[in-house]
Amino acid sequence: MRVLIVEDEVRLAENLATALRDGPGFAVDWAEDGLAGDEFAANPCYDLIILDLMLPKLDGLGLLKRLRARRDATPVLILTAKDGADSIIQLLNAGADDYLAKPFDLGELIARAKALIRRGKGAAHPTLNTLGMEVNTLEQTVRRNGVFVDLSPTEYRILEYLIHRPRVIVSKRELLEHLYDYNWEHHSNVIEAHVSNLRKKLDAAVPEAEPIIETMRGRGYRLAPTFPPELDPAAEDPAISPFTGPSE
Amino acid sequence: MKLSIKIQPRSIAFRLIVAVLSVELLSSILVVVLSYGYERHIHFHAFDVMLHGRADSILGAVQDADDPGDNVILDQADLHVPPEDIYEVWDENGRLLGRSANWQDAPDWKTDGGAPPSHPWGDYSIVSTNGHHYRMLRIQGSRTIDPNEKGGGKVHRVTAIYGSQTGHVWHIIHQAVQFYAIGSLALLLITGPLIAWLLHRGLLPLRQLAALASQVSVDSWQFSPPVSARTTPELAPLTHAIEAVLQRLERSFTQQKTFVSDAAHELKTAVAVQKSSLQLLNMKRRTAQEYQAGLERCLADALRLESLVADMLTLARAETASPIGEAPSAADLNDCIYQAVSQLETIAALRNVPVAFTDPLPDAAPLHVAMPAEDCRLLVSNLLLNALQHSPPASTVAIRVTWEPDINPPVADLVVQDHGDGIPAEALPHVFDRFYRGDPSRTRNTGGTGLGLAICKAIVQQARGGIRIASQPDPAQPDQGTTVTVRLPLAT
Repeated sequence: MRVLIVEDEVRLAENLATALRDGPGFAVDWAEDGLAGDEFAANPCYDLIILDLMLPKLDGLGLLKRLRARRDATPVLILTAKDGADSIIQLLNAGADDYLAKPFDLGELIARAKALIRRGKGAAHPTLNTLGMEVNTLEQTVRRNGVFVDLSPTEYRILEYLIHRPRVIVSKRELLEHLYDYNWEHHSNVIEAHVSNLRKKLDAAVPEAEPIIETMRGRGYRLAPTFPPELDPAAEDPAISPFTGPSE
Repeated sequence: MKLSIKIQPRSIAFRLIVAVLSVELLSSILVVVLSYGYERHIHFHAFDVMLHGRADSILGAVQDADDPGDNVILDQADLHVPPEDIYEVWDENGRLLGRSANWQDAPDWKTDGGAPPSHPWGDYSIVSTNGHHYRMLRIQGSRTIDPNEKGGGKVHRVTAIYGSQTGHVWHIIHQAVQFYAIGSLALLLITGPLIAWLLHRGLLPLRQLAALASQVSVDSWQFSPPVSARTTPELAPLTHAIEAVLQRLERSFTQQKTFVSDAAHELKTAVAVQKSSLQLLNMKRRTAQEYQAGLERCLADALRLESLVADMLTLARAETASPIGEAPSAADLNDCIYQAVSQLETIAALRNVPVAFTDPLPDAAPLHVAMPAEDCRLLVSNLLLNALQHSPPASTVAIRVTWEPDINPPVADLVVQDHGDGIPAEALPHVFDRFYRGDPSRTRNTGGTGLGLAICKAIVQQARGGIRIASQPDPAQPDQGTTVTVRLPLAT
């Protein structure tokens, strides 16, 4: 998951970026004023935008309005030092998804960021169940058919991203964009190696299992159903399905 | 017992009513007094004419006595005078010719017999007897006995004294005066409420103005005075004054609110930085080196918060310090510059920006400006620090002082010039605003609080001086950089 922080206070932005990278393992980019934030956000690679309200050049509300005006549905978490319900109502009505008042609790910020990303992908519960897999996004653990699968952080992040988009072909470029920020060199063969390792570990957990990640030559990857869609237990019982949105 | 008289403030309407009624009362008293004098004069004049006529008729009733001597007698048979009048007639020899029957009513009155009146037209006098007041007239007439005889007959000088009661004259006068008094009083009673009503109507614009003004509060500064208040000559200045005061108040109130809100934002952000730094450090188990680095960052954050608070307090002090009542202070501008330069020597050396200051006065003579020395040092060091923070390495910061002792009041100009990136023209009008961050690189990354120039402006304004800033942001120009000029009045 990739997060954009728009914050003019250098130290606060540094702390937020470190916390989001170290905690949930997000890729984080930082813009220090509203106009730079607008330029960054034009790239659809972000899964969440954390927006300070008082910014130079273009304030947070103005940036939010621009985002929503161009039908950008990226979840937005506002950081505000302003008191009063009026400004909060104004923000939420302008299209903000959540807000936190400064000085905030870092743990709360991370939890809200995760919840917003989850909601943005159409999942309600932090534990994602699909295709016989159970992904706990809080502990960052994965079980397949009840068997614990030990994944590296990057492998986990790839799986978490793919599991939010089942049966959709995800290109390497998309994976790169959502998993790495601008501080990283983009090498697509790195992704290939990680996906290969991930597939091996997942398949090793269950003997004689169908490969769960399909490689579509030249197009990307797909989290494939182990059995035909009409027998998919996740599709049979939508109540326990983490996916509430229409399947793509 | 001690009496204390307390003068209570009364309403304008009350005072005006009292004033008008007092004037009315005074004039009615005057009318009553004048009418009394006039009526008395008129009626007593008529009374005197009547008295004269009756006295003349008494004289006419003096006739030749039917005796051998040429004597005269008073023939009362044909005399028709009111019965309550009194009279007596004497001849020149002091012989009583006759008197009215009720003369004894005035026994005390000595009539001097036939003494002639001192005036040829008669003497008036007033006597009182038995509870009656009489106005007496003494006149003299001559009666000639046998005028056809040889020698022209005998001439008798007859003196008549005639008195008539004045009671009914006084009664008429009193009635007239009473009429005037009652009339005036009635007018007073009628005009009192009438004046009150008229005043009530007349003061309507004032009351409307007061009612509207009383609705103004911190939450609603709306004040739209009624047209009547604007057009009334007496109220127009007051209305304008209220409007002007409210506008100024609202402006300064808004400024204060903005400052408080900005200050809250800055403080909350600074606290958020500290809190997040500590929580970040606590998120997972770390090595001793990591803890140490984290603690150093936290300390740096705390130092920034400290300088922010210090700057805010300095600004508050500079803005609220009142020169009224303080002894006139003077600071040596050159000395302050030397102190500031030496204080910031380390920073200048660190950034490799030499500071050029040449003392304009020979022999280090003092140049006194009218402001506290502490403020002067703060002003110079803030300006210098600001210039140093925005100077690229290996450029110079120049400080110049010029003074103009000939203009009134004499002033000194302090110029601080850097050769940094300059300030964009659109940001220039805002650089003295508190917490202004047009370009974050100018404040955040240089560790500033956004208050330095606001503090300078507050200090200069307290000293009744002026501050202006000029900047050339174009790198193509040779004079790229920012110049701050401060004009300060010289101490007398």
